[in-house]
Amino acid sequence: MTILRARGVVKSYGPTPALRGVTIDVAEGEILAVTGPSGCGKSTLLHCLAGILRPDAGEVSYGEHRLDTWSERMRARLRRTEFGVLFQFGQLVTELTAAENVALPLLLAGTGRREARTAAVGWLDRLGVADLADTRPGEMSGGQQQRCAVARALVTEPRVLFADEPTGALDSRTSEQLLGELVRVARDQRTTVLLVTHDVQVAAYADREVALRDGAVDASGLGLTAVQGRHGR
Amino acid sequence: MRPTTVLRLALAGTRTDGLRVALTAFSALLATLAILAALTVIAIPELPYPDAPGQFRHNEHYANPLLDEPGLRFGTALTLLLLTIPVIALAAQCTRLGAPARDRRLAGFRLAGATPGQATLIAVAETGLAVLLGAAAGTGVYFGLRVPLDRTDASGLRALPTDVLPPTPAIAGVIAALPLVAALAAALLMRRVAIGPLGVVRTARRKRGPLPWPGVLIVLGLISFSSLVPVIRWFTERESEPPLWLLNLLGIGGAVIAMLGVVLGTGWISHASGRILHRFERFPSALLAARRLTNDPWHGARTFAALLACVIVGGGAAMMRGYFEIQRELELRSMENDAPRYAYEGDNFYLESMNLVDLAIVAAVVIAAGGLLVAVSESIVSRRRAYAALVASGVPRGVLARSVLWQALAPTVPSVLLALAVGTQLLWSFTGTEVSNYGLSAPFTVPWDTIASYGVLAVAAVAASVGISLLFLRGSTAVEELRAT
Repeated sequence: MTILRARGVVKSYGPTPALRGVTIDVAEGEILAVTGPSGCGKSTLLHCLAGILRPDAGEVSYGEHRLDTWSERMRARLRRTEFGVLFQFGQLVTELTAAENVALPLLLAGTGRREARTAAVGWLDRLGVADLADTRPGEMSGGQQQRCAVARALVTEPRVLFADEPTGALDSRTSEQLLGELVRVARDQRTTVLLVTHDVQVAAYADREVALRDGAVDASGLGLTAVQGRHGR
Repeated sequence: MRPTTVLRLALAGTRTDGLRVALTAFSALLATLAILAALTVIAIPELPYPDAPGQFRHNEHYANPLLDEPGLRFGTALTLLLLTIPVIALAAQCTRLGAPARDRRLAGFRLAGATPGQATLIAVAETGLAVLLGAAAGTGVYFGLRVPLDRTDASGLRALPTDVLPPTPAIAGVIAALPLVAALAAALLMRRVAIGPLGVVRTARRKRGPLPWPGVLIVLGLISFSSLVPVIRWFTERESEPPLWLLNLLGIGGAVIAMLGVVLGTGWISHASGRILHRFERFPSALLAARRLTNDPWHGARTFAALLACVIVGGGAAMMRGYFEIQRELELRSMENDAPRYAYEGDNFYLESMNLVDLAIVAAVVIAAGGLLVAVSESIVSRRRAYAALVASGVPRGVLARSVLWQALAPTVPSVLLALAVGTQLLWSFTGTEVSNYGLSAPFTVPWDTIASYGVLAVAAVAASVGISLLFLRGSTAVEELRAT
């Protein structure tokens, strides 16, 4: 069953086109890698599908809902409740502890303080960083920070997780560990994952790959993993 | 490194760097004007009585008694000098504008082979140079305004002392000293900063929050100031006069120590407000604010301190106004008793002087609020990536806006109350419980309404600064921030 759909999505930044009519479907529960060289429009596609950006033309649907017609307020609510978003770095609030960072989406949804903290610590535990619950991001390594970010993205048990170069700032060993955990948790939760990357090692963790080139889906079908194969399942 | 190279590198940078230099220079311009105005007031020649050495008569050249009366000139000059406090705070805050970009530039210099000392020198040179430009421009404005402002009224009196000039060494001293002091302050601020090739690292402050020891300073200052009247009475009873140094030590020294206590106490108040807010918070916005307050209680404290200094002076001014109003009431009552047929409005001189003091305080509050605006805006801009990520995850901008508001207002209310309490308490020891004039006396009633209006002014200034700085929030949460590396 298709959970996310883009039809002829066009997006430009001023005179510079980023997406030129992209059409893709994302099935529920699948891990999809969107790959391509730098500047090909990967992140813009992710932002459009997550409702962060509104496309200039085309349709973006989540289930039966047309996201491109929704107001920013409605899209923000959707992102808070149904989606999880993960970026390369800089997403944790530096003043909050790891547990508070993870609990933040729950607090925003109206969950009580103790309940939110318990859930947050539980997620930190699942990602192997429960001992850092009362530590601030500045005192953690990059890998530990990303684990906390994954916990925060998943704490609301979203149906879709959008990950934009989630291991871009990590070394290869930490990347592998993080992706392994991310994929394991996503499969446990039956969470759909949209993974944007330019790294073949990262793309190899996905079930399927869509390659972009110059703002459009690469019709050749020769994505990063077509040559090197997959792993991690 | 050659001085020209230092200058070239100090002035290299983006538009934000240019804005920082311009704002710093503008602050220096205002400070220079205030200092030169104070020096001009002091330069008004004293006219001694021929038959009473050591006593001075009215100058009678100026329309305003604040300039004419020898006894009031020192107070006028002091008020003008006090105006430099919020201006200096504004300058200090301006140095944080565009700090991340400047940090990257300094790290770039280190990567290119500059030593840590050279990188610090470049950063310090930027501040010193900006202040030098501002001081020179301020002096130019001062001399430029003298000609158009040099006017006399129908009685031949001048509104301003445009006929006197401070001594040339004093003017030269101001132009030279301001940049030096600014450079020294910048160097001092950078003592916790290590500039490395990979970035700028700020040494972590101790984990323990600030301690409430400034409270001791407040108590000491109040005791010192309060002892002024008993000391004068003690000397009077023994038919002698207290030495001037003792009066200055107890009065000015006490007031300065109490003010220092309030200013240094803002860190503790911020930290305590954060802890209380964290304990009782029910909303994510309050949680964010509470953690920021406990994490860095000194953020924005420099400008906040300037605002509190204005509030302390305001509290004292309100008490003095109340005192003068009762004195005038007594004067009017005495006149009614003596000559009921004459309509007499009383001597308004002191009350009119208080209007000028009020005006100066409002101006100082506005300048301090400007500094606060810079501080809050800079804080929003420096957190833009985290904010953009939060908004992308669905956090409403309203939550972030409320967190900024909580962060500013939570420590403001108790600090303003403390500042008002100190300001009023200082002067209460002077006004006493009873006011006497023209043989009549009346109980002194504290002018709570005037005191409260200063508190409202300060809180409104903070709220307005935060409100304006929230305009930066939308731009700082744009998705483009997530694309920047």
